[in-house]
Amino acid sequence: MAPKKKEEPKPAAPKAPEPEPVKEPEFDPKEVQIEFTAEQIEDFKDAFQLFDRTPLNEMKITYGQCGDLIRALGQNPTNAEVMYVLGKPKPDDMATKMLDFDSFLPIHQHICKAKDRGTFEDFVEGLRVFDKEGNGTVMGAELRHVLQTLGEKLKEDEVEQLMAGQEDANGCINYEAFVKHIMAS
Amino acid sequence: MGCGVSKSSEFYSKKDGKDVPLIVVPAATTMRAAVLIQRWYRRYVARKEMRRRYTWNIFQSMEYAGEQDQIKLYNFLGYLVDNFTPSGNLISHIFRDNEVCRDTEWERYFSYENIDVPEIYSGPRLTFPLTVSQVAGLVEAFKNKQQLHSRYVLQLLLETWKLLRILPNINRVSTCQSKEITICGDLHGQLEDLLLIFYKNGMPSQGTPYVFNGDFVDRGKDSIEILLILFSFLLVYPGDVHLNRGNHEDHIINLRYGFTKEVLGKYRLHGKRILKLLQKIFSWLPLATVIDQRVLIVHGGISDTTDLALITRIDRHRYESVLRPPKRKSALSGGQSSLDDDDSLSNISLHNRRRASLTNDKPFGTRDSFQRRSLQDFSATVNQTVEEEQEARRRQGPNPLSSESESDSTSGPDNTNDEWKQILDMLWSDPMAQNGCFPNELRGGGCYWGPNVTEEFLSRHNLQLIIRSHECKQEGYEFCHNRKVLTLFSASNYYEVGSNRGAYIRLGPNLVPYFIQYQASDLTRELTLKQSVGRTERSALKALKEQLFANKSGLISAFQEYDKDNTGRISFNDWAKAVGTVLHLDLPWRMLRSQLVTLTPDNMLNYHSWFNELSWKGRNTEHVEQTVLDTLYKHRSTLETIFRIVDTDNSGVLSFEDFRQTWRLLGDFLKMQISDEAISDLLVSIDTNKDGNIDIEEFMEAFRLVDRHRLERGNTVFITKDKL
Repeated sequence: MAPKKKEEPKPAAPKAPEPEPVKEPEFDPKEVQIEFTAEQIEDFKDAFQLFDRTPLNEMKITYGQCGDLIRALGQNPTNAEVMYVLGKPKPDDMATKMLDFDSFLPIHQHICKAKDRGTFEDFVEGLRVFDKEGNGTVMGAELRHVLQTLGEKLKEDEVEQLMAGQEDANGCINYEAFVKHIMAS
Repeated sequence: MGCGVSKSSEFYSKKDGKDVPLIVVPAATTMRAAVLIQRWYRRYVARKEMRRRYTWNIFQSMEYAGEQDQIKLYNFLGYLVDNFTPSGNLISHIFRDNEVCRDTEWERYFSYENIDVPEIYSGPRLTFPLTVSQVAGLVEAFKNKQQLHSRYVLQLLLETWKLLRILPNINRVSTCQSKEITICGDLHGQLEDLLLIFYKNGMPSQGTPYVFNGDFVDRGKDSIEILLILFSFLLVYPGDVHLNRGNHEDHIINLRYGFTKEVLGKYRLHGKRILKLLQKIFSWLPLATVIDQRVLIVHGGISDTTDLALITRIDRHRYESVLRPPKRKSALSGGQSSLDDDDSLSNISLHNRRRASLTNDKPFGTRDSFQRRSLQDFSATVNQTVEEEQEARRRQGPNPLSSESESDSTSGPDNTNDEWKQILDMLWSDPMAQNGCFPNELRGGGCYWGPNVTEEFLSRHNLQLIIRSHECKQEGYEFCHNRKVLTLFSASNYYEVGSNRGAYIRLGPNLVPYFIQYQASDLTRELTLKQSVGRTERSALKALKEQLFANKSGLISAFQEYDKDNTGRISFNDWAKAVGTVLHLDLPWRMLRSQLVTLTPDNMLNYHSWFNELSWKGRNTEHVEQTVLDTLYKHRSTLETIFRIVDTDNSGVLSFEDFRQTWRLLGDFLKMQISDEAISDLLVSIDTNKDGNIDIEEFMEAFRLVDRHRLERGNTVFITKDKL
């Protein structure tokens, strides 16, 4: 079956919307210029230590924790981006391979430098897509469905947590308030 | 539309068996939107988890630091007594071995018969032997916030004591006849949690056996009610209810953590007697429970020297407080920790707390005298029945209550120390991820034990699982050591409303634990995760601010080290370093920055104005020397503990002279000079209606911390809760 061309009324971003960076070279930490200030690096160390679960406080975290740490520090990479900077590890590696602080820094720097982080407006814009009536609200059910089936799918309990207390009696969500809620942490 | 994956997000519904598209949204935009939201969500979750983690960190560090303090204090007091110092006389009574020897004399001392119950009393009136319906009635009464009359309390405690005396050191339980056993962890006076467990799981009975794994009292406000309920069930179903002793079943710990205060408050007339009786009862609580000879349930844990065969043989009642070995003639090292030990404890950086302190003398006795028992020796002992144990106990002599170590022919001084260490380890130890076994410096008692110790212990004793409590866990339970060790904690909302769930276990003949979790408060069900985390976090930060303020003088000196020019400003980096060192709390100070300090645009802190944000409640405190106030605030728990010890008749009131003595004692403990003048200033600031006496409660109340801004705005005084 020949694939049909899909209609795209708006010009899509030059890159495919898929989060997978196709044809990008492997991540090389040595290529990354560290531009953080000394203060920032101290802050990162503190956070790194909080995630360090090694018995002797060796300042190491697992690959699996890396994404969480980057996010805890205020960035919001996609899972694919995290996998990329980790060198596309195998699923088994996530719990066993360790990362020390010096290896973490270039990874974090790369994520921090990445463009297209998504501002408040982008976020609201994204949600407006689902606002069929153009009244500032989206259907909670719809949003749930999308988040669980598209992109980097969320699990049901994650969606529940996300939506907790956001829907009104009709199951609608005021998305500007919703965005403020998500971004204010 | 052909076959193949559709790239647009189309929502379909079934109509007449065909898919009917509901909406069509352009593919790329939808995808982009979804990914954006997901990214932000994941960030949100990660940041929340981080906040939760450091909040937990704060509470736990402060809790353990408090426990460590109490042990240091106790050791210090012991030192005073052993070295016959004058202050020692003031407090020696807590170390005095019970003079009365015979059972009958004790029973007369604790006699309840001459206590009249007034007509007006509307609580339960118990008759003995207890029946099931009476116990159910008791639970109901407590649910309705009634209080049991002291006469019945004493009677019930006496009956409990009689029963506990014939129980072995290690309860042996079996899951025969497909019975499932329910196991509960720390309750800490939180009656709501116990009632919730009973509601979900049923009350103890022959079909519903229970094991309660210690720490029934302290911190929560209904400790005595929990004890009375547990003891009642024990009396009615002695074969189906099993209690293990926890580290808080200890009158010295109770002095600091609220149980003593609770009992004296609820039972003004007979509280002292009740506490004395409980002191003995605690020492008679069994130390552990073994299920089907395969699962060990113990409050704290084990160490590399734990030997169940040895434990089976000791006289557990000789250890009324586990914080100290029974008195020995010689004042050599071993059990007595000299003042030098205190120094070394505080010097050990918390960063290295899990590191092998190979140069640290093990302060709790030598291992050499102890012999490893073989598997066979243990099984032989395990098979001993309750009757045989009773017989052995009776054979030991007419005065099982005598605490004279000399009279016990089976153990010399060395064995006493080993026995003491065995109990201490079982009640105070914590598991760690790394192999090995080190003294638990954070708490001040017991060990940290590693997975290799677990393996060795389990194989030596032919066991498969250790269930312990002692540490609060967010989900109510947590496995470690390759699922061979399970921590179980049953006090929900322990640090704060919404901080954690509680859990209990059901264990059937297959010995696979089945968990039930809960949170005992209507309020928590309403809170979203964000709100619970927020609330707990605020509470932790409040407690942390108090600690900072309490260490004001120490901090200012440390800051001035970095501010040689005396500008009143230091860099944030220096602040973080100073605070970490002075407070001895291993916390992520940098991450807490925004919550604790306001920095100037050039990342500096005006530390004097920072301190001025908090102030004292007492109006008459201007004339009191600042360092005295600081000391008082920083060590209020210790001070209060000493007050209670000095207050021998438990009246809640101290004479001026005793008050002075207490301060001198505190000064010695802290190695600080507190002048008589300073003490007199303190006395003046307290409104003493009574002649020459000070009300302890009133005194402690007068020195609470308040938020100065609130005070100035004319709000009602914001008094911070001293939960720690």
